[in-house]
Amino acid sequence: MSVGDFIRNSQVWKSIFRHPAPRDRRNRVVVMLTNVFLHLHPVSVRKSGIALSYTWCMGGLTFFLFLVETVTGVLLMFYYRPTLEHAYNDILALRDVATLGVLRELHRWGAHAMVITIWLHMYRVFLTGSYKPPREFNWGVGVILLVLTLLLSFTGYLLPWDQLAIWAITVGSNMARATPLLGYEGPGAKLLKIGDVELIHSGSDARFLLLGARFVGGETLLRFYVLHCVAIPLAVAMLIAVHFWRVRKDGGISGAL
Amino acid sequence: MHTATQLAHSVQIGLGVFYLFVALMNVGFALYQCYAANNRRQGIVWSLVAGVFLVHSLAYFAGANWIISAGFRDFTTQVMGYYGGQLGPILYTTVSIILFVLFLRYRKFFTEPVVAWSILNLGLLAAGWSLTDDNFRKIITKEDNVPIVMLIFSVGFFTWLPFRRAVLNDERMANGEPPMEKEEEEKVLVWPDLVYTEMIAMIVCTFVLVIWSVLLKAPLEQPATTAKAPNPSKAPWYFLGLQEMLVYYDPWMAGVVLPTMIIIGLIAIPYIDFNQKGNGYYTFVERKFAITTFLFGFIVLWCTLIVLGTFLRGPNWNFFGPFEYWDPHKVLPLNNVNLSDYFWLPLGVTFPEGQGIGGILVREAPGIILVLLYFAALPPLLAKTIMRPFFIKMGFVRFFLLINLFQFMAALPIKMVLRWAFNLKYIIYIPEYFFNI
Amino acid sequence: MADKSRRGFLRTIFGTWFGIAWTALTASAAGMTLGTIRFLYPNALSEPPSKFKVGFPSDFETGQVDNRFKDQNAWIVRIRDPQLGDIIYALSTTCTHLGCTPNWLEGEQKFKCPCHGSGFKITGVNFEGPAPRPLERWAIRIAEDGQLEVDKSKKFQKELGQWDDPESYVKV
Ligand code: HEM
Ligand code: FES
Repeated sequence: MSVGDFIRNSQVWKSIFRHPAPRDRRNRVVVMLTNVFLHLHPVSVRKSGIALSYTWCMGGLTFFLFLVETVTGVLLMFYYRPTLEHAYNDILALRDVATLGVLRELHRWGAHAMVITIWLHMYRVFLTGSYKPPREFNWGVGVILLVLTLLLSFTGYLLPWDQLAIWAITVGSNMARATPLLGYEGPGAKLLKIGDVELIHSGSDARFLLLGARFVGGETLLRFYVLHCVAIPLAVAMLIAVHFWRVRKDGGISGAL
Repeated sequence: MHTATQLAHSVQIGLGVFYLFVALMNVGFALYQCYAANNRRQGIVWSLVAGVFLVHSLAYFAGANWIISAGFRDFTTQVMGYYGGQLGPILYTTVSIILFVLFLRYRKFFTEPVVAWSILNLGLLAAGWSLTDDNFRKIITKEDNVPIVMLIFSVGFFTWLPFRRAVLNDERMANGEPPMEKEEEEKVLVWPDLVYTEMIAMIVCTFVLVIWSVLLKAPLEQPATTAKAPNPSKAPWYFLGLQEMLVYYDPWMAGVVLPTMIIIGLIAIPYIDFNQKGNGYYTFVERKFAITTFLFGFIVLWCTLIVLGTFLRGPNWNFFGPFEYWDPHKVLPLNNVNLSDYFWLPLGVTFPEGQGIGGILVREAPGIILVLLYFAALPPLLAKTIMRPFFIKMGFVRFFLLINLFQFMAALPIKMVLRWAFNLKYIIYIPEYFFNI
Repeated sequence: MADKSRRGFLRTIFGTWFGIAWTALTASAAGMTLGTIRFLYPNALSEPPSKFKVGFPSDFETGQVDNRFKDQNAWIVRIRDPQLGDIIYALSTTCTHLGCTPNWLEGEQKFKCPCHGSGFKITGVNFEGPAPRPLERWAIRIAEDGQLEVDKSKKFQKELGQWDDPESYVKV
């Protein structure tokens, strides 16, 4: 008996994989059904639907990059403290002191790559007309995912706490200040007042909610950190689940009618 | 500032590697033409091209100092600076729109593999020569700008590919055949067909990412301080299209209203597009209107504006030619005039500061009327006249949603043209209530 | 007719136990949402005090922009105003476009914002670039000890005609 057979016949192996290796048709079906990760896929698909020249695998790569970001992000969190005192130096140390100083690079370039792949994914979904019935809803889910992905990148941009970060976020978040009615420099905000008391001022408007303060500072760093590391990733993960579920429920990857 | 006339050693090596890579690409293409496509003539042509690139490569390795001509560089800078420094953005936008139209019109020609390959080669050659310019190189190779170079190439490739397939499909359908996708209707098992494709994609992706991360350090500038803003201060690159809109509109429009309309518009696409054809295969002919509109938004208004914002906007958010030194003291007259001034000043009417709502409304009446006409009168007019067939087919709600989204999309080009032609600052100017359009 | 439908609506939401239950649930869910949003607005801010002293009026020269208090978000400027005479005022260092910090360029006699190129005259009035309105001025006064004191809790905007307010400048 070869070593391979010995392993495959052991009780441990069989407790994990409840069927023989996927070499024949039956077991290739079973493997898809008994594995929680593989069963994101259907058992069989239209040949045109999985051609690289059709999907460009961009949705899959976006998902993969999301996983890469999760893993590298968790690793970075072990060394990074979101306070004015530490943030910048922790990032410096990640480059100069940490072994394997490319984790920050992997995380940053992975994020940029994810923005590109998600655009290309949307581009191909549009060009194959795959948003048409019955997939209207999933296109909408996709648009929300796109917005959340951009917000993920945006909140992450502040964390190194360098000049690039603070001014990009200052300029970006000042747009919230200009939200109609809800930002204190937005059109109409001045009209919202009770007697002489203005309801919308620099300490009560949309930007204040985003920053947790009137200027980009320590409170903002903490807020963006929580959004970046917990709140938005959770939302994205949930929506990705909905998205994948709907790809299958809407009839699998689209194909010519 | 004049640029160095002697290339640094590291730059020469970099260019050598670059041209070697391009030469190898062409060798590959020549082999493909010779043996896979059985086209000897093409094989010979592309071998020659590969040879030209190889000569470049070897020359740079051997320390050649081939630099893009100073006359040409100065010429481009000068041209872009005409018309009060406005010719740059005007040329850039107009040329990208013209290219866009040409591409759609002559898509059959442009998607021919040999043509597309030639264009790619020309682009790489232009990039190679431009890289010998200090100013150009400094901006292109800034760490955070590298993704945009990738964006340009990947969007280019992924526009070529679907259009190539669309052209082929459209020809087939004109001949009464089904699209290619339909030929592959039979079902295949996900294991092994799909799972292995996915695994290979993941491996390639990881490989690229690791190489990228090892070669290129993530940027880290000076620690944050509120006292001194760097010049220019830019948003992250994927928002630079939005930042470019800030040149023409106030933050509440460019930063809030227009992005919100983009999101709403994207979500609304499936509900507006009533055309049932073109679902699940690449085609252009069957969906001309939808594809042209989307591409205009994505390619012209989003991607090219990102490129403009990243590479061509320098200190003080001035426009700089590709080879121009980013001089923080470059002065451009930016004196723009409001519509209300255009209207009232010749009539000799002036308005005092700090007046009440009534006075403000009179002052801004011309702009308010124009904007109201644009949003309230134009859509019904279109429904009655040239877009009547659309209106009948789509119904009331769909049609007005479509037209309104369209109007928001057009708002940017319209304001651009008004700015360039008339130095128009605001159509409506009510700073008292932060309501400027 | 309108009255009837209104009564119909009220009956739907309060008329049956079922209606009341759903109404109560909706109301409490809405209340909790509002409470959560309110929770996100901090009540205490760790901002530096809004008042600070900048020295005696005689420390400032006419036609000069004093950069020393830029960290505290103010330029102290002394000019000869055609109407008000010799005055000192405190300009906010926040660009009215998107909040970057402009730089005072002595040679060109203007504040230039690095982010999108807005230019402001020494008075704070915008004259080029995308900034929609002039820089703001802070309240300024002569304190009991004779020093100038800037108070950032009050601001004055030109487009609202507030620069004539005697609190917005000090006459020398
Ligand atoms: C985190 C972001 C996203 C992930 C991980 C993701 C993932 C995927 C995957 C794996 C597929 C299967 C087919 C393929 O790979 O092309 C898919 C299909 C689809 N996606 Fe996404 N996607 C994301 C964002 C988006 C966006 C931004 C849109 C559009 C605005 C979108 C719309 C769709 C639609 C309509 C389908 C069905 C396409 C078909 O049946 O041919 N998705 N997505
Ligand atoms: S923030 Fe000053 S010009 Fe935009």
